[in-house]
Amino acid sequence: MDAISGLLGGFAALANPETLLYMIGGFLIGTFFGAVPGLTSVLAIALLLPLTYSLDVTTALVACASIFMAGMCSGSITATTINIPGAPSSMMTALEGYPMQQRGEGAKALGHAALGSMIGGSLGALLLMVMAPLAADVALLIRTPGKFSLIAFALIVIIISQRGSITKGMIATLFGVMVATIGIDVVQPLARFTFGTGVLVQGIDMMPLIIGTFAISELLVQADSRSTRTVDPSMIKAAKVRRRDFIPPLSEVREIGALRYLKSAVIGYAVGILPGAGGSMAAFVSYAESMRSSKHPERYGKGNPEGIAAAECANNSMCGGAFVPMLTFGIPGDPTTAIVLGVLVINGLQPGPQFMTQQLDLIAPMFASLFVSALILIPLTLYLLGPYFLKIVSIRRDVLYSSIAIVALVGSYVATYSTFQMALALVFGVLAYYLRKQKYPTVCLLLGFVLGPSLEEYCRRALSINDGNPLIFFTSPDSLFFIALTAVFFYFMVIRKPKDNGLGTRPA
Amino acid sequence: MSLKPSSPHSSRRAGLGGEFCVPAALAIITLIYLVSAIQLGPPMKAGNMTASFFPIATAIIMLIALSCAMIHALRGRARASAESSSIDAESHDEIPSGRQYAGLSLGAIGVVVLTAGYLLAFDLIGYFVATFVYVLLLCCLFGGGFRDKWLTKLIAAIAITLAGYLLFEVVFQVRLPTLWSQ
Repeated sequence: MDAISGLLGGFAALANPETLLYMIGGFLIGTFFGAVPGLTSVLAIALLLPLTYSLDVTTALVACASIFMAGMCSGSITATTINIPGAPSSMMTALEGYPMQQRGEGAKALGHAALGSMIGGSLGALLLMVMAPLAADVALLIRTPGKFSLIAFALIVIIISQRGSITKGMIATLFGVMVATIGIDVVQPLARFTFGTGVLVQGIDMMPLIIGTFAISELLVQADSRSTRTVDPSMIKAAKVRRRDFIPPLSEVREIGALRYLKSAVIGYAVGILPGAGGSMAAFVSYAESMRSSKHPERYGKGNPEGIAAAECANNSMCGGAFVPMLTFGIPGDPTTAIVLGVLVINGLQPGPQFMTQQLDLIAPMFASLFVSALILIPLTLYLLGPYFLKIVSIRRDVLYSSIAIVALVGSYVATYSTFQMALALVFGVLAYYLRKQKYPTVCLLLGFVLGPSLEEYCRRALSINDGNPLIFFTSPDSLFFIALTAVFFYFMVIRKPKDNGLGTRPA
Repeated sequence: MSLKPSSPHSSRRAGLGGEFCVPAALAIITLIYLVSAIQLGPPMKAGNMTASFFPIATAIIMLIALSCAMIHALRGRARASAESSSIDAESHDEIPSGRQYAGLSLGAIGVVVLTAGYLLAFDLIGYFVATFVYVLLLCCLFGGGFRDKWLTKLIAAIAITLAGYLLFEVVFQVRLPTLWSQ
């Protein structure tokens, strides 16, 4: 009963004009960053991170949630209209949306994408509200050896989900773990890897790492491009959409069916819980399942609204699922929830099994923001801004990237009022640029950095309470469960690789 | 992602290439890290892990992974050079990729140099002057030089500098360094 009233209190908190303003502002920023090719909602949340020092934690979380939800659905705008997915999660939408655009049904395709996102996002948020307290109860049963095995499971799944580049995923993750060991040891008061400099004793802050990896490296990548605008203006003229065509016909919605929406939402939510999977994997799995179970699989790839609905429903539902491991175990599975974890840590909060019950008043508005963003802001934004989307995202690159540079660099300065943090952001930016050029997943670097200290701490604690005997990891039931789960995932994702299903593409 | 990797043809010509050099550079960093970890003390004491155990274990696994990556790169290069003669014969007119120095494109070098300069100037001459000059130069870098639409770039630099000041100093009340507060 307390939980229900707490969750309802979250909706009441959105009635506060300031919180509401941040939610709407966050949604619009997320829509912009998600729609502009090359920019992502992760970058938007990364740029917001320094500002959370001055923001109330609830307001910051509300803004993060709305950016996350908006970023997932807005990638479909350029995916449909000009065949360039604004975000990797909209890759499957481009397969169906662009053929519809070519036959003059672009607005209808965007309508289907918005409806799928609306249903998926709302159901994902509702599932989060229902399932997160249950997951928190389960999390209470996990002891120290089990926590180590759970984090190891998360890291291994993150690495093996980098299909085709497991070695690169492993290197990036381990490098993140190494960076996290700089500073005071997690168990003893001993400074490590400071190389005689005082500035490293406190360790590397998460902010310069995030800003460098996601913002500065993007500036370096974009500096190679010769175009002056983010989207070619000639494409805008050729891709006009009209507001009156946005509402999808009821007959087509019926043909897609409630079951398909529901199934896609559940798939998206389940994929979201998995570490390292993300929106593109959710959309891919849901799209493939939709094609498999469709009465007309031959229509896929030629502009079928079923495919758009399945992909968009799943990638928005993923947003809800992604918060479950972060809030209940303190284990983020993707960069967005890792940054949200950073927001919580900056404010002195550490997620874990008790977090849901003890801090429900702080995080309930974030749940409400996810739900309201999906149910109201997605359709409203499409209807009001839809015809102007392409004009909005076709912005001068010099203005855009100069602005990003200032927010990123001055934002790094905010944490400690020292240019050392800014210099660190530049160093990580250059490093991430090299890694990205050689297709090393920088997401793994961030997740290794975030999860590394907990992995070390639980490993050492588990061994110290068992006289250094490593067998504890195999005799403790909860630890054994996660080791078995790791073996199952390893078998299905590495040894028995998923077969090519003929879609001609795979998740990013 | 808009990252465009250099073509295999061009990378073949450029020595060992980033595929080998990136893990090699990381291997050097990891070796320094490993030596530093060993200097922390023995990894086990009285049956318990010490502060050096986890870093040593991480560094060893990292070195194994990096060795695999470097061997893979060398094998790939050997395979590519075996095929190169036939490709060379077919593609004499291939468009060369942009100039690169230490794996960085000219544009990326420009951003790094400007940003490093900005960091130095930020504390010395304050937010306003440093940011205005930095933004103006970035606008030129991303917008194809200063001559093209210079007035727009000038206005954009002033507007972004003022917007940044409003956002951080006024809205979020962050004290930014200024020339008159030095």
